[in-house]
Amino acid sequence: MAFATRTDAARAGGMLTPAYVWLAAAIFLPLSAMLFFSMLSAAPFVSSDWRFTTANYAAFFSRSLYPYLLARSLGLSAIVTALCVLIGYPCAYVLARQIRGRSREALFLLIILPFWSNSLVRIFSWAIVLRGNGFLEVAINAVLPFPVSLSLMFSFTAIVIGLVHSYLPYVVLTSYLALQAIDDSLVEAARSLGAPFRTILWRILLPLSLPGLVAGAVLIFVPVAGSFMEARILGGRAGTLYGTVIEDQFVAVFNWPLGAALSFILLAVVFVILGVASPVLRRAR
Amino acid sequence: MRLITRQTALAAVGAVMLCGSLAFADAAEIRVLNWQGYGTDESFAVDAFAKKTGNTVVHDYFTSEQEMLTKLRTNPGAYDVVLVNSAFVKQAKDEGLIAKIDTSDMPNVKDLSPNLGKEPNLVVGGDTYGVAWTWGVTSLTVNKDKVSPLPTSLAVLWDPQYAGKVSIRDDGIEAIQFAALATGQDINDPKDLDAIKAKLKALMPQVKAFWGSENDWNQFFSAGDFYVSTYWSGGAGRSIAKGLPLKFIVPTEGAVGWLDSLAIPTASKNQAAARAFINYMIDPEFYVQWAAKGSPMSANAKAAAALPDTSFNKVTLGDPAVVARVHFVKPLSEDTRKKYLELWQDMKARQ
Amino acid sequence: MNMPSASGVVGRVYVGLVLFFLYAPILVMALMSFNASEFYQLPFHFTLEWYRRLSGNEQILRAAARSLWIAVATTIFATTIGTMAAIALFRYEFPGKRVLQAMLFPPIAIPWLITGTSMLVFFFWVGIGRGTPAVILGHVALALPYVIVVVAARLETFDIQLEEAARSLGASPWRVTWAVTLPWIASGVVAGALFAFAVSFDQFVVSYFLAQPGDATLPVVIYTSIRKGFTPEINAISTIIIVISMAVMLEASRRFRFGGEQR
Repeated sequence: MAFATRTDAARAGGMLTPAYVWLAAAIFLPLSAMLFFSMLSAAPFVSSDWRFTTANYAAFFSRSLYPYLLARSLGLSAIVTALCVLIGYPCAYVLARQIRGRSREALFLLIILPFWSNSLVRIFSWAIVLRGNGFLEVAINAVLPFPVSLSLMFSFTAIVIGLVHSYLPYVVLTSYLALQAIDDSLVEAARSLGAPFRTILWRILLPLSLPGLVAGAVLIFVPVAGSFMEARILGGRAGTLYGTVIEDQFVAVFNWPLGAALSFILLAVVFVILGVASPVLRRAR
Repeated sequence: MRLITRQTALAAVGAVMLCGSLAFADAAEIRVLNWQGYGTDESFAVDAFAKKTGNTVVHDYFTSEQEMLTKLRTNPGAYDVVLVNSAFVKQAKDEGLIAKIDTSDMPNVKDLSPNLGKEPNLVVGGDTYGVAWTWGVTSLTVNKDKVSPLPTSLAVLWDPQYAGKVSIRDDGIEAIQFAALATGQDINDPKDLDAIKAKLKALMPQVKAFWGSENDWNQFFSAGDFYVSTYWSGGAGRSIAKGLPLKFIVPTEGAVGWLDSLAIPTASKNQAAARAFINYMIDPEFYVQWAAKGSPMSANAKAAAALPDTSFNKVTLGDPAVVARVHFVKPLSEDTRKKYLELWQDMKARQ
Repeated sequence: MNMPSASGVVGRVYVGLVLFFLYAPILVMALMSFNASEFYQLPFHFTLEWYRRLSGNEQILRAAARSLWIAVATTIFATTIGTMAAIALFRYEFPGKRVLQAMLFPPIAIPWLITGTSMLVFFFWVGIGRGTPAVILGHVALALPYVIVVVAARLETFDIQLEEAARSLGASPWRVTWAVTLPWIASGVVAGALFAFAVSFDQFVVSYFLAQPGDATLPVVIYTSIRKGFTPEINAISTIIIVISMAVMLEASRRFRFGGEQR
């Protein structure tokens, strides 16, 4: 619905302004300051001799470590997103279309609840589960007749497990919302026409719930690319990712310009990926 | 209805802020910026100081030296006492972040060990910018139940017998310093970086995981994730006090020594109270009580002497022969820091 | 929908497994709050020592209370203005709409460390400085994109013709929003609110840089205590929070329906 009248335009403006002004004041202006820093040789409030330079951005290309780690982080994002979707979507399906009544709401809220636990404590709890003489090993040894030594800690696998655990509720939530809105009568009609489940899923449910699924996937893919907490704690020697080297620029050295440049490169790459993917998804609808 | 809710919320926020600021108006309150759990926030200390001087103490924390500098730079006037490692004092002073300290009203300063109290980074041209507070070493630790005989050399870190059971701190500068010690170089100015790179490359397969904090160290150690590691002497004292079976060793090659000082930010409005607090922090009365829980060594010679003979610090760091093997850290230029970081990142990423 | 009961059972078992995976570390966290080992080691020895210590630990308790009310404030602000923005983006077409939608990504994409640090610098420079208003300013800004994306996703399933029909019957746009749109997307709004709460309650970086000294929030206390080591008191407070949240959620689910009109 386009702006039919000027009052419509005013209304749209009124509804959009609070949120976007807030975002502008609290995020975009500060980020612009960061963007400005990324083009300097040193942060201006630290050293008085600074000048404009593209060296920070050039560093991304001149040092092979950065593209390598960015690729690694994006790969991690892809794996985590794929796993979350594969695990989460069926879960949302069952919740939205198979379970009835009050228990459905309760289950849905239970799935969201782990969100509210502190992420650092959660990650360390995973360490307790996954490490040698941790819960996983003890549990498996209790069941199997022969002793097994199993430690998943300090590995890429551990990072993936930690991330999937943190981000799974996103995709369950958004897919659930979308699936639940699909009109029953559509499915009934297809059923009565003799369509098998596979067809119903592929031709009706998936296309109609795709916006939810995609929203969830994006909310997972994007932050995971820049994540560093899980990598530092669970990854051990495998725990160096793009996010960790960005963090280093703020905690190990005072190189905000480089840290900022690396982050904006990440943002640009993410935009490109999303831009390339969106026509594909649009066609799927 | 929504608008009213928002206005009510805003009013509530405003009211709380007002109450908060009123509460601070009458008491002399000093704000301390430090690592969490590092002496200045011990509840017995804060209470004793309040009783003695009537000043209350409020803490803010940082989790890395760079964050400490960031907080100082972006919060002029917010802090009255700040912990600055001696290797960073020059940088902080040159940026005008910390002030000259007039030590004439601080009686404990004269008891500081001369080499520490007058350390050239802390006392520049006769002016004190940082009061030497604690010192310690980062050195070798082994699980004494799993490693025998007890090693005397850093080479144990590279011993294939302990492959996968070694842990070092996730800090490029420290890693390079230990590699320098192991190759007989000056930790503050290693000339042969290639030898260091080779040494670190050989170390990587030995390492199971890197530790970044005492929390990491304690949990990984108790879980048996490593038997041999590098660790801070203060942390070792604490962990031993908690019953972990570790042995802290200063090997023949030496150990990395560090000195922490307390400084006063330039814009602080409570400098007199800040000086009183710092004076209390180097007082033997405070120190002996703190050391019982596990702490680094005091820079106050009198306080150090007041320790019981069995205390960890006295046993480990009281022997002059041991102290002679300690290589103290000097300030690093920002460029060197960046270079070391890049080396370390490369080392970690390409396994 | 008539599904054969076999696949119904499979479905339930699957959800059960997912829940088990989601709660594994939570259960471990809770268990460890009752375990005597301060280094989180097995074997398990029961004790209430950590809860006892927690009750005397003013620092953590005050931080938890502070986190809670900041999160509530954030949720109210973010959900309100986020939902309004999402509805406007859905209802109207205008040049620049794509740009506004694209603007939701940087806050999610850029690591919170960068965003938090840039807020610190900018607020200092502009004079907002530190303090609770700055913290809430930052929290709401970080939560907004999530609220908007989630509510927008829900809106995509909403038939705009319902709105148009109501308009054609003479209802004002405000009334349309209230009586037609909101009830339909209520579950999306609630979901957005839950997200906003989670984002704020667990937000570390912004609080770390922008809170007044001495006014730390719970995530900051937890994170800074990593230097010296966690104690299971942290597990104790986290367990208490989870249990209370669970009770609140289950009670809320008993009273309110989040499902659509259909069931």
